[in-house]
Formats: sequence, structure tokens, C-alpha cells
Amino acid sequence: METIKNYLESMFANLPNSAEVRKAKNELLQMMEDKYNELIEEGKNENEAVGTVISEFGNLEELAEELGLEEEVKIEKAELEVSPRRYLAFEEVKDYIRDRAKVSLGIALGVGLCILSVCGPIFTSSVGFIPDAIGVVLMFVSIAFAVVLFVGCGLIGDRWKYLEKELCSIDYATANYVNDEKSRYHSIYVIQLTIGILLCACCWIPLVLFDGFNGFGFAGIEHFLETVGILLLMVLCAIGVFLIVQCSITMNTFDFLLKLNDRETVSGNYVRSDYERYDNPISDGLMQVYWPTVRAIYLIWSFLTFAWYKTWIIWPVAVAVHAVLRSLMKKEEEA
Amino acid sequence: MGIEMPSISSDVIRGYNDTMILFILSREPSYGYEISKMIRQLTDEKYIIKETTLYSAFTRMEKNGYIESYEALPGTSGTGKKRTYYRITDEGRRYYRAKCNEWILTKEVVEKFISNEEE
Repeated sequence: METIKNYLESMFANLPNSAEVRKAKNELLQMMEDKYNELIEEGKNENEAVGTVISEFGNLEELAEELGLEEEVKIEKAELEVSPRRYLAFEEVKDYIRDRAKVSLGIALGVGLCILSVCGPIFTSSVGFIPDAIGVVLMFVSIAFAVVLFVGCGLIGDRWKYLEKELCSIDYATANYVNDEKSRYHSIYVIQLTIGILLCACCWIPLVLFDGFNGFGFAGIEHFLETVGILLLMVLCAIGVFLIVQCSITMNTFDFLLKLNDRETVSGNYVRSDYERYDNPISDGLMQVYWPTVRAIYLIWSFLTFAWYKTWIIWPVAVAVHAVLRSLMKKEEEA
Repeated sequence: MGIEMPSISSDVIRGYNDTMILFILSREPSYGYEISKMIRQLTDEKYIIKETTLYSAFTRMEKNGYIESYEALPGTSGTGKKRTYYRITDEGRRYYRAKCNEWILTKEVVEKFISNEEE
């Protein structure tokens, strides 16, 4: 069945992503699926069934005439002649992902180094026995390193400039691959982002903790601990920012690739997959105002009563109600 | 296989796809695959309608008001997914009759020139 889906997707790949085209595609898929299932039930093996279904499919030109797509097909062809849509090869896409991984590391490291650079002067100025000049030199060295990294990443990025300038697209199989990679990366992304945000949010804790020590009466130790606290703050913050920047850039790579197809081709409908459709405009509208309404009720109730310990109950209830509403009104999509 | 089977010229049959579909729908409403299966069975597998042909016939006839579509679950033990069903309209029945008459006339005319003898 996967083969049939791929076949249909590739046939439709260059048609506009309009409601009529989507409907035609769904209907055709349904007919092919029915035929395939019956052939399998009759005892045909998968290859035979797929072969029969595809050989009896017909051709899309016939549809283009009937669906009034002729115009659109013609326009598409004309556009192709003016600025041909560049198809990215599978290898090219893999190269891009690899390069972007380097860029994400480079930029994240660079930003981290910029934050860390202030540690040098802070350290030398508080320790005393090391000349301040060394701290300043350290700062400039790390900034210089960061600049080298930024320039290097910029050079890598230049190689892929054409992705933004030209009209590009990826074929169905490649889009599938990118989408798989993206969903595989998603859990890492969430964990990394969470840790990054936590680190940034908690970086002041050592400083406060160390501030609590009075240094057992020794002024020197108290001062030293304070410095360590500040240095830890910078380090934690740098690590946090590094994690956030790195995973955001990586995620952005996948989204960027998947969006290449979005505008005109059907095989790009991944990016829209999170957009839910409902049976009719009323439910659609209802679902759109659902969360804002809940938020408003929560805030109004909370501020009127100041019973925050009670009002949070709105959220779990709202989630449950939302789930019920969604399953009631959601349009039946193809599996 | 082996035997040379005459195949149907799609140019000739194109004008009568609508007639076949309307004939099936005039008995009871049906959906895409079921209709194509019936056409195959009724013609003893001599004519297999292509999916794209079928779908374009549906959209064209719906535009012309010969058929109407609605969503329904297939009655027989289907996979539980809704299908787009089509039903014939009165306009469709009139059109079907006209097409039948047209064919009777066409057949009569062409018949005059068909010879079974090899010369």
C-alpha cells in the first residue's frame, strides 16, 4: 500500500496544493486502496496487487482537463520555464543537514565563548596575584575564537545561499526522510531545550548560595566564594545558551527543508499537518477561540477571588474538555 | 492468455462511460471502487475503467447535475472508513435515456457497415 501512496504522491507532486487537487487525490487513493484490498483478499500477492492497481490507474492529464486544472497546469509549466523549480537531490539534502549540524555547533560555541569571555577579567581582578592584563587578553582571545567560528559558519552558509534565492523543492521520498529525521530528533530537542532553559533560569543559584556563607569570618574566603559564584553564573548561563542555540538551529534545519515544498506542491503538506480541520466553520471558529477563552476565564476568576490555589483546576478540566470536543468535531482524515 | 483479444478503443468508449455509470447508479447509490467493480463484472472483464476516468466522470457529471454526492459508510463489511457515494438525479435519468436512444441509433448506423467475412 505504501508503494501505491508513493506513486500517487509522485503523480501529484507538481500540481498546486488546492482543495480540488487534494480532494481528487484522496478519492483516487480511496479507490486504489479498495481495489488493492480486494486483490489481496482474492489471494494475490502484494506485488501483483500493486502492479494491477497502478496499471489501471489511468493518467492525470485526463483529470487536469476535467478538474479545470488545465489552466493551473499551464501556468505551472510557464513558471517552470521562467524560473525552473530546482529539485534537490537526496544526497544534497543530506549534505545540507550535515553542514547545518556543523553550523549549529559553531554558532552555539561562539555565543557561549562570548558569554564566557568576561570570566577572564572577573577572575584576574578578584584573585589579585595575576595581572589584570592577562584576564583582558584572555577575554579578547575567546572573542577572537568566537569571531573565527562565526565567519567559518558564514562561509558554510554561503554555499547554501541558493536554497533561499532560488525556487527549490524536494521530492516526496526526501520529504519523508527529513520528516522522519525531524520526529526522531524531536525528543532530543525537547530535552536539550528544557535543560538549556533550566540552566539559564537557575544560573543565579550558586551566587545566592555562596553569598549565604560568611566565609567563616575570613574576608578573603568570602570574597573568593563570591567570585566563584559569579564565574559559575557565567558558566551555567553559557552552557544553557549553547544548548538552546544548538538545538534551535538543528530543528530549524528540518523545518526549513520541509517548508521548501509548502507553497505549490502537494508533497509538502507536512508543515500543515499540525493544523487541525473541523467539520464546519462553526466548530473551526469555536476551537480557535477555545484556549484564549479558557485563559481569560482563568485570569478573571483568579484576580477576582485571589484564590490561585483553587483556580488552577481550570487547566486540567480544560484539557479534558478540549480532547472531547476535538474528537467530536474533528474531520475524518485519511489514515 | 495467448489468444489475441480485441481491445476497446478508449476514444469510442469515452462517450459511454457516463452511460455505464448512470446505469449502475440508477439501480442504487454507490461509490468509486464499487462502481468500477460492477463495470468490470457486467462486461465480463472486457472493459476495466481507469480510476482517473472514473473520477473525472464523477466530477463532470456532478457539475452538470446528473449525480449528487454524499458521505456514507459502506454497507458491507468495509474498513469502517467513509466513502463518497453518488446518487442519480432526475436530470441524470433524463440524460441517461437520451444517451440510450443515441446509442441505439449509433449502433443501427454503424451496424450497416460491419462485415464478419474476411475479404
